[in-house]
Amino acid sequence: MKKKLLILGVVLVLLVSMLAGCAGNQGAKTPSASTGSNTGSSGDKFQSRTIKFLSIWPEDDKNSNGWIVSELSRQYGETVDGFKLEYEYVAIDQLDQKVKILMSSDDLPEVCTYESGVRLKQVIDAGLILNVEETFTELGIRDCLDEGAVSLLKRLVDGKGLYCVPLGLNMEGFWYNKALFEKAGIQKAPETWDEFLEVCEKLKAAGITPIVQGGSDNWPMTRVLNAYLVRSVGPNAVQDAVTGKKKFTDPEYVAAAQMFQDMAKKGYFAEGMNTIDPGTATSMLMNGQAAMNYDGSWKVSNLNSDDNTAGPEGIGFFNVPVVNDSSTILDYSMNCGNILMFSKKKYDDKVADWMKYVFPKLGDFAMQETGAFKGFSISKMPEDTTYYTQLVAEHLAKAQGAFLWFEAKMDSETSTIAQQSISLLYTGEITAEDYMRLLEETAAKSR
Amino acid sequence: MERVLGDKKAIALMVLPALIIFVGVIFVPIVWTFIYSLFSGMPGFKFEYVGFSNYINMWSNKQTVAAIKMNWKYILFVTPGQVGFGLLVSLMMYFSIKKFKTLSRTIVFIPTILPTVAVAQMFAKMYEMVPNYGLINALLDLAGLDRYIQPFLGQPNTSFGALVVMDIWTAIGFYTVIIYGALVDIPHELLEAARIDGASGVKLFTKIVFPMIRTIMITCLVFSFTGTIKLYESATALTKGGPGFATTSMTMNMYQNAFLFDQYGYASAVAILILAQCLLVTFIINKLSREKY
Repeated sequence: MKKKLLILGVVLVLLVSMLAGCAGNQGAKTPSASTGSNTGSSGDKFQSRTIKFLSIWPEDDKNSNGWIVSELSRQYGETVDGFKLEYEYVAIDQLDQKVKILMSSDDLPEVCTYESGVRLKQVIDAGLILNVEETFTELGIRDCLDEGAVSLLKRLVDGKGLYCVPLGLNMEGFWYNKALFEKAGIQKAPETWDEFLEVCEKLKAAGITPIVQGGSDNWPMTRVLNAYLVRSVGPNAVQDAVTGKKKFTDPEYVAAAQMFQDMAKKGYFAEGMNTIDPGTATSMLMNGQAAMNYDGSWKVSNLNSDDNTAGPEGIGFFNVPVVNDSSTILDYSMNCGNILMFSKKKYDDKVADWMKYVFPKLGDFAMQETGAFKGFSISKMPEDTTYYTQLVAEHLAKAQGAFLWFEAKMDSETSTIAQQSISLLYTGEITAEDYMRLLEETAAKSR
Repeated sequence: MERVLGDKKAIALMVLPALIIFVGVIFVPIVWTFIYSLFSGMPGFKFEYVGFSNYINMWSNKQTVAAIKMNWKYILFVTPGQVGFGLLVSLMMYFSIKKFKTLSRTIVFIPTILPTVAVAQMFAKMYEMVPNYGLINALLDLAGLDRYIQPFLGQPNTSFGALVVMDIWTAIGFYTVIIYGALVDIPHELLEAARIDGASGVKLFTKIVFPMIRTIMITCLVFSFTGTIKLYESATALTKGGPGFATTSMTMNMYQNAFLFDQYGYASAVAILILAQCLLVTFIINKLSREKY
């Protein structure tokens, strides 16, 4: 009898603990329905002044954006008692998923890395994040943000306002190996697309691979397609097609895909380019295995390093050549990299105080330590800037207008299709029409 | 103690916790997933009841259909490959190798314990063409077969083949060890008697050896099938599902839908489809295994 009771007891305990577990789950799920409410209190979390920072950069990765923020926070911590930055690392491909889960339980951290564009717009629409323009103006630190970056960020969310701070101000274009250009007898960088094709032809004739892109990541290839599309249709080409004002299957869009495929067929791209990763592509450019590489100004850190066998001035830069008068050579492809957004619910005096310390210093600090523009105003350029940093600064100063990358305005499904299928366009597995039809069909779903 | 174990109620009570955990861990999520599959969107955001339309739309979704086709093509190559080569190697070990049996078994088993990502990196290097020739292209170059030099992972057909070769290579050791275990269990007298009766080679295998290891072979087929229908990490690590969608499996399609496209409901429907195929084929294999010849 005693044994029976014992068994019964054990079973009961097990049952109760399991049910408790289930109930716990239920409890955790309920608030997900109330997305957007700001009624919850953050409790005593702030008494200890812990600010949580969700980042996609390993904390010890010196010169990364994560390190910059955490280093400035450490300096802030020295001036304030009990302040702590809780650094949470999440791999970049897990970020979107993580943020979605945090959003559904209204538990975004105080500071959170994310990407601008369609995704940020969803968070803005859910009403979960701070309006940075208002907050920074209130705190009197609005002028620490670079105007070019601000207008770009606003445009990325269709003019909804400024809801994030930039962590980069990059421009994109073609980087070229000067020695190889000289070897092929090319005097100057091309400004029109016809000149560009001539350059490719000359390089090829000289036995040099004209262009290499890190095609295994796909986006480096869609960038080249986009370059021609923007120059032939205009800076709003993709936006117009996504919203339905135009169609991806319109002849001028197909022509851009055709140009990309023709260039592949003529052998202007490195052979087997869709198996090369972007890092290798950069090395190939620097080693003289290929003459040109379309990439962003983030490449400067590679170019500044000792690995750059082309030397301190061996690589040049030219903007995307123009096709017709739909855009000028002073319009650059620009982006702000990953961004930071701030939870509205968890914002308070302590966070404000931290912001007032960190962000006005960020631009100069990043320039000093890493030589990179972060989209913050810079009060003084360091004296020992390299040729490459100056090159980027010169072009940024010249920029009169900006256009976005290919997938910036696409929803995630269209963007995935665009990227995965570009490889087939490159290998000739599908035609330009097929490619654009795929995009049109996918984009039409969410119109 | 005997009295307790003789009492059916007591047995029921003891089994109950395990049963509840089993049901809770296996069946509840399946039912849950099925319920999710009747919705569109993402829980917490736009989550609407849509009935069975996810199941209907699936067949007009090019990517999903391509993933189903690709996955089945993969199974058709890889499952027979894994089990077949496993059988060949184990027969070789049992009948031909007289010395260093343990050593050769260990060597054959090594690929199985290597992490998938490491194996994929190794194979990617072997298949490489730019910037430097990988092992295969270098050998082709040496042999003067320049026209066969190609980016193996950059073309739909070859990248599928590259994946198949890698996944067969990885699993041979596993099936070799299992089948070898079954071969060792065959009574020696039986083989000897067969040999005395004049059976040898193919006949010995088809009439004596194979019937004796049949159940193990069935188990191997089920293992291999359930492994291949869930193809995910090796394809992700080697080709990222590309070029295009040439090596995107059903589970990868499910993942994309759930976590990239925010279509949790649709992804659940794909999950249920995978489950249904798994159950169906396992059922068929079991059915065949019960048949007598």
